Amino acid sequence: MRIQAEAERVDVTAQSDLESLRQEVRSWLDENVPRDWREVAKDQGQFLNVQKSWFRKLVDAGYATPHWPAGWPGGGRSLAEQKLIYEELARADAPRLILYFVALYHTASTLLAWATPQQQTELLPRILQGEVWCQGFSEPNAGSDLASLRCKAERRGDVYVVNGQKIWSTLAQYADKCLLLVRTSSDGPKQAGITFLLMDMRSKGVTVRPINQITGDEEFSEIFLDDVEIPVANRLGEENQGWAVTQSTLSSERGLTLLELSDRLRGALWRIAALIREKGRSDDQGVQRDFARLTTRVEACRALADQFLLKHMAGEDQIGDASIVKLFYARVLREFATLGSRLGGIDAQYRLPITYGGGQETGNWMADFMNSYAWSIAAGSDEIQKNVVAERLLGMPREPKNWTLQGAGQ
Amino acid sequence: MNIVRTELQDSARKLFDPASYVPDRQKSWDGIVEMGWPALAIPEELGGLGEGKAALTTLYREIGRVLAPVPFLPVMLAAQAICQSHTLANRESWVERLIAGEVITCSLLDPIVDCHSNGKLSGTLDAVPDADKASHVLVVTPDKRLCALVALDRPSVTMTGRRMWDESRPLFDVVLNHTEVQPDLVLARDDDAARLAAELQEHLLLATAADSVGAAAATLDMTVEYLKTRRQFDRPLALFQALKHRCADLKALLDSADALVEKYVAGDTGLPFDAVTGAGAVKSYAAWVFRAIAEEAIQLHGGIGLTSEHPCHLFLKRSFLNASLGGTIDEWETVAGQQALAANS
Repeated sequence: MRIQAEAERVDVTAQSDLESLRQEVRSWLDENVPRDWREVAKDQGQFLNVQKSWFRKLVDAGYATPHWPAGWPGGGRSLAEQKLIYEELARADAPRLILYFVALYHTASTLLAWATPQQQTELLPRILQGEVWCQGFSEPNAGSDLASLRCKAERRGDVYVVNGQKIWSTLAQYADKCLLLVRTSSDGPKQAGITFLLMDMRSKGVTVRPINQITGDEEFSEIFLDDVEIPVANRLGEENQGWAVTQSTLSSERGLTLLELSDRLRGALWRIAALIREKGRSDDQGVQRDFARLTTRVEACRALADQFLLKHMAGEDQIGDASIVKLFYARVLREFATLGSRLGGIDAQYRLPITYGGGQETGNWMADFMNSYAWSIAAGSDEIQKNVVAERLLGMPREPKNWTLQGAGQ
Repeated sequence: MNIVRTELQDSARKLFDPASYVPDRQKSWDGIVEMGWPALAIPEELGGLGEGKAALTTLYREIGRVLAPVPFLPVMLAAQAICQSHTLANRESWVERLIAGEVITCSLLDPIVDCHSNGKLSGTLDAVPDADKASHVLVVTPDKRLCALVALDRPSVTMTGRRMWDESRPLFDVVLNHTEVQPDLVLARDDDAARLAAELQEHLLLATAADSVGAAAATLDMTVEYLKTRRQFDRPLALFQALKHRCADLKALLDSADALVEKYVAGDTGLPFDAVTGAGAVKSYAAWVFRAIAEEAIQLHGGIGLTSEHPCHLFLKRSFLNASLGGTIDEWETVAGQQALAANS
C-alpha cells in the first residue's frame, strides 16, 4: 500500500507539472499563432512565408523539437509532454509545419540513430536554422512495395554515382537536402541491396518537377537523378544495409501525428455545424443524425489514437496497432469531407482557391475530400495497413512470396 | 487495465468456458453469486467491494463474450438504486439479499409506467429480463418524481414471457394494473428520483455498449479462427486477401468502439452531449459496430453460419437486440445531433 501511495504522489506531481506546462504553452500560443494564416495562404509564396515565420517562432520557443533528445534545443520532453504540446497546437489551430516535417521527424530520428557524432553536430543544428529536407523513397514502380526500388548507385572511388527517378516526395521543390534510398546490389533479397544516402538537392544532375495534383496543389514532386555524385561520406549505415536505416525513418512519428490530426478533426466539427445552419438544415433529423454519427466517430478516432499512444508509452503496443489508428483516421476523415460536400450541394462544386498547407479540414469541401486520399494512400496505403492488421494482429497467413501469375512474367 | 479488472476478466474466463456460448442459466447465476459479483459496485460501508464503472464494464464485456443468460445488469441497476436510496425501508437487509443472489429486475428498454391521480401505477414494462426468477421490478413514473420497487407476486402484476429471436436473454412483458405503491418500497422521490433515473439510464446504456464490444470481439475471434481452419481450393480461406481485408476492417471498427467505451468509462470523452446522451451515443456506436461484425460473420462463415448448430446466429440476434435496448440508434443519434449543433453554435 505504501508503494502505491508513493506512486500516486509521483503521479500527482507529474500531473501538476503537466498542467503548468499546458498553461505555459497555451498562453504562448494565444499570443503567437498567426491569426490570419488561412486567409493569407492562397498561393505557394505566401504558404512559404507562413511556414518559415511560424517555424522560426516555434523553434525559438522550444516547441518545434519536443521529441528531440535532451541536450538539443527544445528537446528532452517526455511523451506525455509532447502529446500535450500537440494537443495545444491543434486546439489553437496553428499551422502544421509541413515544410519542415521530414527534417524535424524523419531526418532527425534517422540521424540520431545512425549518423556519426560529427554528422549529427553538423546536420542537426542546420535543421533548427531552417534547412528543408525531403524524402527520396518512393519510385514510379516502387510505391507500397518500397523495397523493389531501382534507383541505381555505383561506387566510383569516394563517390556514388546515382541514376534514376523518385516520386511523391513532399515539397521536394523547396528542399535543401534529401534522404535518398538507392540500389547498390541486385543480389539476394531485394531488401538486402539498398543503401541510405544523404543528398544535397543542389548537386549537379538533380532535377525536381512538382506534380500537379487534382486539387491544384503541388505538394509532391518527382526527382530525376542523372549521374548525380554523392560522397561516400554521406552514407548512413553500411552499403547494402540501408533497409535497416529506413526502419528508423519510418518509425519516427510514434503516433503523435495521428493524435494531433484527430484532435484537429474534432476542432473542425464547427465547420459542419456552421454549414448545417447556413443551409437551413438544423431541424432536419436526418442531418442531425449524420452530424451526431460523425461527432461520435471523430471521438472514437481520438480515443483510438490516444489509447495507442498510452500503450506505446507503456511499451505495450503491438505491430499492427498503429495501422488500425491510421486506417480509422483515414476513414473518418473521408466521412467528414463527404458530409461537408454533401451538405454544401452545388456551392461545394464552385471551385474556390485552396489554402496551401491548410491541413485536412479547410471547409473547401471538394478539396478536402480529394486531400483525404493522402491518408488512405500515402505512408502505406489502406490496403497495406489491412494486410498488416490481418497478418500481425489477427494471425491470418501471408501470401506465399513465390506466387506468380503464369504467362505474365515477373 | 488495472489489477482489479484483469483479475475480474480472468475469473470470468474461468467461470464461463470461452468456447461455450449461452451457458446454463441457473449454474451461471449461482457461479456469479458465489464469486461475490453482485457486491462488486456496492460501497464498502454497506458490505460491498466498492468498485465502480470500470470494473462493471469488464464483467459486462465478459458476459457479452459468452452470451451468458444472467440477470447481472438488472441486479446491478437495482443495487445502484438501493445503495443510493434514503427512503427504502431496511436498506441493509436489501443489500444483503442482493449479495445473497436475490434477483430484482428492471426493463432494459424503459422503466417508465403511468401513475394515476390516486397514486396507483399502470402500464406495460417491455424487455424485463428474468422476471420469472425475480422478486421485484424497478419502476419510474413519467414525471420522474418517483422511483420504486414493485413486488412481482402481487395480484395486480402479471408477466408474460416473450419469445425472442435472441434467446440469450429471457425477456418478459410485465403489466401493472392499478398497482399500489408501497411506501416502504420507494427508492427515491422528487429531484433524487430524477437524478437516479438519469444515472440508471446511463448505466444501462454503458452496460449495453460494453456487452456489445465483448460480444463483437468474440464474434470476430470466432470468424477469424474459422477462416484459418476452413480449406477451399487447397488453401485456408484466411489466405485470401479479399477476406483478410474484410476482417481487418472489422478489427479496426472493433478497436475504435472498444477505445470509445474505455474513454467514456474514464470520463474523458470530449463529446458535446449531456451524460445520458453521451452514453446513448457510445451505446449506439458500439451496438452498430457489433451488428456490422455479426452481419459479416455469418457471410464469412458461409453455409455453416446459417445452421442453428453453429453459434454465429446467436451473436447476430443479440446484436440486433442490443441496438434496440435502452433506446434505438436513430433516437439517440437524433438527440445527440441536436446537442452537437447547439454546442457548436
